[in-house]
Amino acid sequence: MIVCVAVVGHQNNPLYIQSFTEADDALKLHHIVHCSLDVVDERVNNPKKSGPTLNETFLGLLYPTENYKVYGYLTNTKVKFILVTTDLDVRDADVRNFFRRFHAAYVDAVSNPFHVPDKKITSRTFAERVSNIVKSFGLSSAG
Amino acid sequence: MANFLAQFQSIKNSCDHLVIAVEDVSDLWPTIKTGFEERLPFRRACLNNKTRNSVFLEKLPAEFILTTDARLRSRFPQEQSLFWFREPYATVVLVTCEDLEEFKTILKPRLKLIVQNDEREWFIVFVSKAAPNNDQATKSAKKVYAKLEVEFSSKKRERCCKLDLHCPEASFWEDLESKITECIRNTLDRRVQFYEDEIRKLSEQRLLPVWNFCNFFILKESLAFMFEMAHLHEDALREYDELELCYLETVNMSGKQRDFGGVEHGDDQAALLNPGNKPLTQIVQDDSFREFEFRQYLFACQSKLLLKLKRPFEVASRGYSFIISFSKSLALHEKILPFCMREVWVLTACLALINATASQHNGVVPPDVEKEFYRLEGDLYSLCRVKFMRLAYLIGYGTDIERSPVNSASLSMLPWPKPPVWPSVPPDSSSKVLEKEKLILQTVPRVKHFGIERKPLPLEPTVLLREANRRRASLSAGNVFEMFDGHIGSVDGSGPDASIRTSPSQRVRASAMPRTNSSPGNFDNSIDRPMRLAEIYVAAEHALQQTISDADLWKSLSSLEEFEQKYLELTKGAADNYHHSWWKRHGVVLDGEIAAVCFRHGNFDLAAKSYEKVCALHAGEGWQELLAEVLPNLAECQKILNDQAGYLSSCVRLLSLDKGLFLTKEREAFQSEVVRIAHSEMKDPVHLDVSSLITFSGNPGPPLELCDGDPGTLSVTVWSGFPGDITLDSFSLTLMATYNADEGVKALRSSIAIVLKPGRNTITLDLPPQKPGSYVLGVLTGQIGHLRFRSHSFSKGGPADSDDFMSYEKPARPILKVFKPRPLVDLAAVISSALLINEPQWVGIIVRPINYSLKAAVLHIDTGPGLKIEESQVIEMESYADVSQANADIKLGDGAQIGTLDAEKHFERLTLHDGKIDLPDWASDTSSILWIPVCAINDTLTRGSSSDTPQRQSIVDGLRTIALKLEFGVSHNQIFERTLAVHFTDPFYVTTRVTDKCDDGTLLLQVILQSEVKATLTIYDAWLDLQDGFIHTGVGDGRPTSCFFPLVISPGSRAGVLFTIRLGKTNAEDESKAVQPESILNIRYEIYGDRSTGAHLPVAVTSSGPDGSKRDLIFRSAIVLQRPVLDPCLAVGFLPLPSSGLRVGQLVTMKWRVERLKDFEEKIVSQNNDEVLYEVNANSENWMIAGRKRGHASISTKQGSRIVISILCLPLVAGYVRPPQLGLPNVDEANVSCNPSGPHLVCVLPPVLSSSFCVPVDS
Repeated sequence: MIVCVAVVGHQNNPLYIQSFTEADDALKLHHIVHCSLDVVDERVNNPKKSGPTLNETFLGLLYPTENYKVYGYLTNTKVKFILVTTDLDVRDADVRNFFRRFHAAYVDAVSNPFHVPDKKITSRTFAERVSNIVKSFGLSSAG
Repeated sequence: MANFLAQFQSIKNSCDHLVIAVEDVSDLWPTIKTGFEERLPFRRACLNNKTRNSVFLEKLPAEFILTTDARLRSRFPQEQSLFWFREPYATVVLVTCEDLEEFKTILKPRLKLIVQNDEREWFIVFVSKAAPNNDQATKSAKKVYAKLEVEFSSKKRERCCKLDLHCPEASFWEDLESKITECIRNTLDRRVQFYEDEIRKLSEQRLLPVWNFCNFFILKESLAFMFEMAHLHEDALREYDELELCYLETVNMSGKQRDFGGVEHGDDQAALLNPGNKPLTQIVQDDSFREFEFRQYLFACQSKLLLKLKRPFEVASRGYSFIISFSKSLALHEKILPFCMREVWVLTACLALINATASQHNGVVPPDVEKEFYRLEGDLYSLCRVKFMRLAYLIGYGTDIERSPVNSASLSMLPWPKPPVWPSVPPDSSSKVLEKEKLILQTVPRVKHFGIERKPLPLEPTVLLREANRRRASLSAGNVFEMFDGHIGSVDGSGPDASIRTSPSQRVRASAMPRTNSSPGNFDNSIDRPMRLAEIYVAAEHALQQTISDADLWKSLSSLEEFEQKYLELTKGAADNYHHSWWKRHGVVLDGEIAAVCFRHGNFDLAAKSYEKVCALHAGEGWQELLAEVLPNLAECQKILNDQAGYLSSCVRLLSLDKGLFLTKEREAFQSEVVRIAHSEMKDPVHLDVSSLITFSGNPGPPLELCDGDPGTLSVTVWSGFPGDITLDSFSLTLMATYNADEGVKALRSSIAIVLKPGRNTITLDLPPQKPGSYVLGVLTGQIGHLRFRSHSFSKGGPADSDDFMSYEKPARPILKVFKPRPLVDLAAVISSALLINEPQWVGIIVRPINYSLKAAVLHIDTGPGLKIEESQVIEMESYADVSQANADIKLGDGAQIGTLDAEKHFERLTLHDGKIDLPDWASDTSSILWIPVCAINDTLTRGSSSDTPQRQSIVDGLRTIALKLEFGVSHNQIFERTLAVHFTDPFYVTTRVTDKCDDGTLLLQVILQSEVKATLTIYDAWLDLQDGFIHTGVGDGRPTSCFFPLVISPGSRAGVLFTIRLGKTNAEDESKAVQPESILNIRYEIYGDRSTGAHLPVAVTSSGPDGSKRDLIFRSAIVLQRPVLDPCLAVGFLPLPSSGLRVGQLVTMKWRVERLKDFEEKIVSQNNDEVLYEVNANSENWMIAGRKRGHASISTKQGSRIVISILCLPLVAGYVRPPQLGLPNVDEANVSCNPSGPHLVCVLPPVLSSSFCVPVDS
């Protein structure tokens, strides 16, 4: 289950963060997303290590923990997408697919002339779209 | 083959280096043993690795063992092949012989026998015992050695070397070493080949049922072990890696369910770094290896090799993933493992890894690897910390664990342990249960600072109470639950554990109910009754005690204090390591956890420091939600530490966070704290940046525009982020000039206190005159009590953008424009033509404002010399339709045109006070004319001139100046000064000429009047007061016939008046009058003119017009009349010019004849009577004179004597010009008779056309 998705700006400022848990614990997800920026930073700053994935937007699994997984995605404008899932058995292709759709939704949201770049995304349409993408996560491959 | 395992194990344990066999043929070993063993371990050996590439080894340990040694004997052939790795890798044959015969007969056959076994790698060391001075012995030894070499060495390979006992050659040992190494290399290659073949064979049979992992293991590990002995650790590691891979494949194969292991005592302590933890035989059962032990064993072997390779980084990195994956395996088998085995194992494994790697890490690695290493250490600490917290929570220390995001993230997503049955309360533990209950009751709910109410973050994945009871009594789980839920009241996601602690009323209820059940009797049949929290804690503690074998770990869990100490140690470890790595955020967040502990222990200084770091991290990247969690803690620390500046700053930061993050009540609490501290006694004023809280912007619309030097008022919008009204004791705002930063910053102050309402406020500030340029708002500063704040932040017409916590955006829009100095007003004289002199006249001054209001302007008027203002007269002012301006307006647009045309005609009379006039309001925006009555005074009488030699009056004589100074602007700050020149003149210019001399001596004097003004002049009368020697003819006073009057002279035209006079003496009564040297012409006239064009009726006349007593103006002019020559003494005659005429450029001689008409009797006194002074005057523009212009010519005093004076002249211009004149300055004019008598003209022809006169025309 995806518990949280986030858009983080190029200055590592949160632009959009949405949790999908029932409990009132969004703060811990903020923490997870925030700390995962460490890994993104590390990969971006150490291109040696990232090797062949250098030019790829999809950063893959940011770090394995026992209980949840954090995936990252870095756009060309250095905007990061972070996905936190408690599913420990996730297929890479699903995540890639998810990010691709998420990216499209993001691009649409920021193309809105009323959106101020580098400000929080407040579009309700975007939120709905994201929620749809999250709901359909993993379904396409399963079906 | 499994039965070989024990043996294999013992062999492995007993030998850890290569063996070199020594075949001591001639009993030499004891003598040379020391020398040989000194060479151990071999340095710089070169061996081949598995891929047959040379590897240089710094150190290769080995052991020399005599073939007769028990260790090398009594081995079964089968064992030999299986454990081949322990067989000698080289055989050194030691011989000596001094006799060639002996060699041939005894030694040679024996050696042949020894070396016939091809399996072995051998070489012969010939030991020469010959003393160096014994030549005989040396010689024979050499011979024998030569023979030996012939027999045993081949071209391909030298197998002999010679050791001189008494004087060993230096090269021998190197030779020996290289030979031994060569042997070892060959043997190793062969054996590797052998093992590889065997392993390949086995691998091919992998899928057959007969295949046995044990055999594979022994072969593979033998090979690995051999590599390890040869110090080829890389190869050994690779073998172990392959072995692990193979094991994981077999162990995961279905249908091969085996015993997992891990149930023995002490298994909870991870043995992932200790390969010898358990004997192999113990972990192998029926050819199957127990996963729990064997995987740890394999990892231990790998890590041992990695540590030997000095790669602690890799140990940590592999170790971390191993722990994660192994933890998953443990989870799969959790049902058979002791309670919390998994957690304890991970905990110990992490600690073991940290200990092993941290001690090995020496920092001589590339920086990025080092960073990565620290990151891994941090990860290990962090993992360890999480597990430790979980264990602590289970035994009831959860109250001591901070419910922070980091803890919640790691704990609430970590599932509870899943034992088959949850441990139940041990018997006779009611006292412990009571103790725990007491602990729960005693725990004071942790209240957040500032009375912030938040739902605490969960530390548990689900409610422990529910989970434990469900696991314990699976039979009636559902019922137990519902019953329980009914009692406890609401159970939400965050768990009753949390709610118990947070709401005191619920706590009482929850604890009161079970207390009735806690009589000891109820424990026995507790299986039917759901356990209470305290019981769960006690049961978990009991079960954990069974699981944990490590005394230290158990001690850490034995009490709250111990727990805290260990917790702190782990947290610090993680934080420190993260700080050394790339993962700064992880480190800083954990610092916050340390701070929480410090805070609890009253170490507020440390806590504040750490909290500051956390706050800086979150604030820097705008993670407000996280910041809102930590900032109150920091504020509390600062409050306790009495750090007023810090506390104020924290409160302000709290206020500047997103409004949704705190309730209004909480925000008001922040504000009241700010106000309280600001107004409290503080040593020093505190400076604070409140950019995020108070923002400001100029008003929308165009910027305020001011002319240079003008003050103004600036209105700005200030947004207050305070939840309530706040009083600013002072307030100032700086203006910054764009494009000119060093121009300095101008501060605008508001002296009065300002109350800011929440949200938008408009504040007006006085603006002193600024330099030209455009200005933007700079910094807002102000004071609240002792708090001096400043704000750099601009809002774009909205409330503070909380996203830009730290960004200072400069607005591009200027707030104020001060124009460069430009003419704001123009003062000009209305008329261009002359006014009447000596009469009061109106001077019109056009006051034309140029897009600038002249409200309340004051005009200073200062007249120059010869001009005075008629004070008695009022000054008139009327609006003025400037034609040129109107045209411009029409071009500009219709609106402007209409405005101009609609402008009312104003007229007003003003009076002059101290040379100043206040301009009326209506004149502030429109052009107007100011009519000032002035009078130019000129005392001298005008002189007429002869028409022959007209002498115009200089214009300068009639020029007068008026200095004007206009003070205008908001505070009379603008000054415009101008000096106007006004031209005054007489109405007429008079020339006279005698038109005719009649025979009777009457002279007709024509007086020509040239009108000098642009006005109509009407002459009513004219008369001439004649000078001495002239009288009027006839009886009249000489006036012209009156019927000609009035005579009207249009502007610019001329009129003439003819007077008849004659020479003569005036009457006797006239003689009493002073002798008049000149005649005076009097003209009575009237003037009709427009004051806007020039001369006009004098002011007084205008004013007295209605009375009817019109005063005519009188114009007087002096005329000099020249009397004819009455007594000529000398005659000057101009001799005729040559008939060819004069031409420009042609020299001509001018001649005058001077003739003495009579004697100068009365002038006898003059000294040089026989000389006369002459002077030639000529207009230098017309003539060039060659020769003396002035000089004495001698002329006899006799009457009739004559001389001719000639002068060479050159005419310069063509036309009728006046020729040069000869004057006699010493002789009175009355005594000189001239011919021609008056001025005359001569004709000068233009020059003859000649090429020489063609001059090139300048381009």
